[in-house]
Amino acid sequence: MGTQMRGTAAPGRTPTSLSRRSRTKGGIGESTLRPDGTLKVIGEFAYSSDLWHEDMLWGFTLRSPHPHARITSIDISKALAQAGVHAVLTHDDLPTAHTQYGLEYTDTPVLADGVVRHHGEPVALVAADHPETARRAAAKIKVDYEPLPVVHDEASALADDAPILHPNRDDHHAGHVPHPNIVHRQPIIRGNAAEAAKRADVIVTGEYEVGMQDQAFLGPESGLAVPAEDGGIDLYIATQWLHSDLRQIAPVLGLPEEKVRMTLSGVGGAFGGREDLSMQIHACLLALRTGKPVKIVYNRFESFFGHVHRHPAKLWYEHGATKDGKITHMKCRIVLDGGAYASSSPAVVGNASSLSVGPYVVDDVEIEALALYTNNPPCGAMRGFGAVQACFAYESQMDKLAEKLGMDPVEFRQKNAMSQGAIMPTGQIVDSPAPVAELLRLIKAMPLPPEKQWETARGAADVRALPGGLSNTTHGEGVVRGVGYAVGIKNVGFSEGFDDYSTARVQLQVIGGEPVATVHTAMAEVGQGGITVNAQIARTELGVTQVVIHPADTQVGSAGSTSASRQTYMTGGAVKNACEAIREKVLETGRRKFGTYHPAWATAELLLEDGKVVTDSDEPLADLVDVLGDEVIDIELQWRHRPTEAFDPVTGQGFGHVQYSFAAHRAVVEVDTELGLVKVIELACAQDVGKALNPLSVKGQIHGATVQGLGLAVMEEIIVAKDAKVCNPSFTDYLIPTILDTPAIPVEVLELADEHAPYGLRGIGEAPTLSSTPAVVAAIRAATGLPLVRVPVRPEHITGT
Amino acid sequence: MKTFRYERPADPAAAVTLVAGTPGARYLAGGTNLVDLMKLGVETPELLVDVSRLPFGEVEETDTGGLRIGAAVRGSRLAAHLLVRERYPALSQALLSGASAQLRNAATIGGNLLQRTRCLYFQDVSKPCNKRRPGSGCPAREGAHRDLAVLGASEHCIATNTSDLAVALAALDATVHLTGPAGVRSLPLTDLYRLPGDEPERDTVLRHGELITSVELPPPPHSARSRAPLMVYRKVRDRASYAFALVSVAAVLDVRDAAVHEVRLAFGGLAARPWRAREAEQALQGRPATEEAFVEAVRTELSACRPLRENGYKLALAERLAVAVLADLAGQG
Repeated sequence: MGTQMRGTAAPGRTPTSLSRRSRTKGGIGESTLRPDGTLKVIGEFAYSSDLWHEDMLWGFTLRSPHPHARITSIDISKALAQAGVHAVLTHDDLPTAHTQYGLEYTDTPVLADGVVRHHGEPVALVAADHPETARRAAAKIKVDYEPLPVVHDEASALADDAPILHPNRDDHHAGHVPHPNIVHRQPIIRGNAAEAAKRADVIVTGEYEVGMQDQAFLGPESGLAVPAEDGGIDLYIATQWLHSDLRQIAPVLGLPEEKVRMTLSGVGGAFGGREDLSMQIHACLLALRTGKPVKIVYNRFESFFGHVHRHPAKLWYEHGATKDGKITHMKCRIVLDGGAYASSSPAVVGNASSLSVGPYVVDDVEIEALALYTNNPPCGAMRGFGAVQACFAYESQMDKLAEKLGMDPVEFRQKNAMSQGAIMPTGQIVDSPAPVAELLRLIKAMPLPPEKQWETARGAADVRALPGGLSNTTHGEGVVRGVGYAVGIKNVGFSEGFDDYSTARVQLQVIGGEPVATVHTAMAEVGQGGITVNAQIARTELGVTQVVIHPADTQVGSAGSTSASRQTYMTGGAVKNACEAIREKVLETGRRKFGTYHPAWATAELLLEDGKVVTDSDEPLADLVDVLGDEVIDIELQWRHRPTEAFDPVTGQGFGHVQYSFAAHRAVVEVDTELGLVKVIELACAQDVGKALNPLSVKGQIHGATVQGLGLAVMEEIIVAKDAKVCNPSFTDYLIPTILDTPAIPVEVLELADEHAPYGLRGIGEAPTLSSTPAVVAAIRAATGLPLVRVPVRPEHITGT
Repeated sequence: MKTFRYERPADPAAAVTLVAGTPGARYLAGGTNLVDLMKLGVETPELLVDVSRLPFGEVEETDTGGLRIGAAVRGSRLAAHLLVRERYPALSQALLSGASAQLRNAATIGGNLLQRTRCLYFQDVSKPCNKRRPGSGCPAREGAHRDLAVLGASEHCIATNTSDLAVALAALDATVHLTGPAGVRSLPLTDLYRLPGDEPERDTVLRHGELITSVELPPPPHSARSRAPLMVYRKVRDRASYAFALVSVAAVLDVRDAAVHEVRLAFGGLAARPWRAREAEQALQGRPATEEAFVEAVRTELSACRPLRENGYKLALAERLAVAVLADLAGQG
């Protein structure tokens, strides 16, 4: 009894098109509510920071106050002597020779190894019976530092006498970077930009800058490591990718991967900031050393040092265009500050480079993107991943070009917009819908908010709708409106030849007289709504109402990361794939049991709907309950998207991305130019989502991404001083938009199927983050006439003083 | 957080005795600022003396028609108080723009006045700061200082006072009543705060053990014609809510026969104390209430500004904000 299958599905397996007619309630296309939604709103959701274990200890991390220094000595004796302290660990205490980890390069020390390379780098760990005891003991660790020269920008990183931050690089890019302080460099050469430039009637150049944005998730890094009797460890953790963590944790602990058992705990937001490890290894080390469960929770201050940030960037662009508005060529140079360790900088460089043209057709390009090693905080994944910085620059250029040509900025964009069949600068043909011009048309066609929208019926001003808001700084006098447009292109899923897959284990059985599907994946629900969608897919494919979502853990195969807009595509695809295999088994069983009673078992196309096996003409053949009996069908399968390939290191050519995602924004702002205050009153968005599996979640993703883009446009920046120290690690000093800063966000959704993707869906979570920022800045430029080449734009950039 | 003792004495005299007799003792009221700073290690008191339940919780009209506000009154209560909203609306505006509802519910008036600066370097114990650790240096001068002082700063410190309430009270000619080991005394609110000079660690002139018991306001100024209190508090900040002032202005203006009969003007966000613009007030007294006069007067006041690399924009911002506020008030009168 019980069928079990494990294996790998062939890539590109043709999905059956069940969704066209499913009647099962709660299936795809419905806005079923998220199970975690109400709990989060009323404050009852259990986050990883709420974890508790009898007799547990609290871990604390001592961090470097210096951005670059040699550690000459560490004295832990006073900390160890403190009552309540169970362990103090430094680099010397690490159990194996494997003392570094990293997403792409293994270059990050678990604990500083003689040198610290950024402000806040972990140096030592303490476990104690109370968090405050651990904190105080850590303060008693005496570390002698000998400060070293600081590398803080391109000039200091590439100077002749620049300190080499990672002298013994053995990563796969080490051989072809022009300088050891360059993490990765990706040029793309296509056509002949110099030659094409001769055809240009106008040439426009610009230098742009993007500040360091933080993911600003609300749930700080936290988790609980519980030592097990077999010498292994159980780790309960908030992360984006359990198996990637596992791959990095196990070797440091000296344990085989099967002895490190990980379970996803409640995640309070991620946005890329949980792709890298934070306290995972630290908690495990302390638990193994003390034999007791160890919990670590960062406070907000520490959280700003506990995860990577969005790469700050400097971007230089040149575009040419003919009088009739066709772009002739593009040259650009994008310099990303990767900070002290590689994190996902190489992939960010790949994105910045390959998406640097934007969603436009430009045949002749000369592109260079690179990430630096510096002593600034490490930067890595954040929603939009390299495409955000580029989009701010190329969209600023589009407006500049249109202005120089005397053209409407939307028409100019539409004239150059890519569509299906277009060739990317990498040579890749865009082989699914790319409705760029249509998205621009949609946002332009939306009605504009009324002029003087702050006026109430009685003629008074609603100051909440004005710049300065409740501060009462204006009642409308001196307020200038501006409208700006932007559109962006984002890749979906892992690129550049990465073996990207997800795994789903689905069981179907009768429980309490009802067919019940259990879906088990390692997908991290970080708030994106993935568990809701997985259940919808199982209902649609298996025709059952009852779906149990098993907690995500490492007892099932990898789901890949909850990032790159990929989980609905990948884990959704894996669930669909496993359900299809289950369905085949059900029908096999059905034929065996009942095939002789009705010819349709052999001749018709059969579906599972409403707990029954039905024919494609809706004739019920059997109840699932009767077909299954006491059989448990249990299948675990890996599922892959079609393979991609690496970009050529010299020309940047290659089929690098599996899918593209497009969104466009129109921003309407009111600016108080006297006081430099901006009120974004509307940020309309149009996006092609392929297929909206859960329309409400789609809208939520678009709203969230739009607001995150607004934050980068007008307020969000981690301030890193020239000495490479972080200045504003708090939500009092690092500002994120509140609801009063959040505009109306009307959304238009297109559903143009991508035939390569499950249900034709398109990853959606990131694209709107891209275009939101340049649209807002374009609108402020329109209102003020200022060039505004750097984000975030603050009052002092508008007051002209 | 460092270990501390906690006491909740039954009467003010006992509280004063406790704090005065213990070096490193601090009064605790709402705790919204002090406790945060203790968590960060910025404040490390030996003893906390809780004064939040002492009998300073009343808002009363004075015999002269002014208002006495107990130091333990919560911000939310004062902001919503009928007398305040009718007679001193600028005070209500300042409180409402100062913090979230949760903070206003906890924070007291006395505590609000004694909140410490939000200089990024003061908050971070891993960095030098003359206010936190005298003599350690002031990295803000060379570092991140776009929100710091342009008036009255010293080479040792460029921190600003971040209380919105204090700016409004400064413009309203508030008096602060104190009790202490040497008895009671009263000070104009503007004299409570000090400029950093070479002792930036001292924010106020309070002596150890002195406790704010109440704040007293003179009767509100009234326009001869409308009897409406002509006053306003306005704040420019980086986002719509929950952010400190880049610049703020509190102003009282009474215009009679098109001339300035009475004016009081105070700036926030520019200095280590709420900056009462006495030069501007003097320049305007009796002058025609015109925009030109306002501009000229405010410029006179701000001519003392000594901006640094990143905070020079505050001058224009302060001028424009003050002139707009005065012009609005003049127009209403």
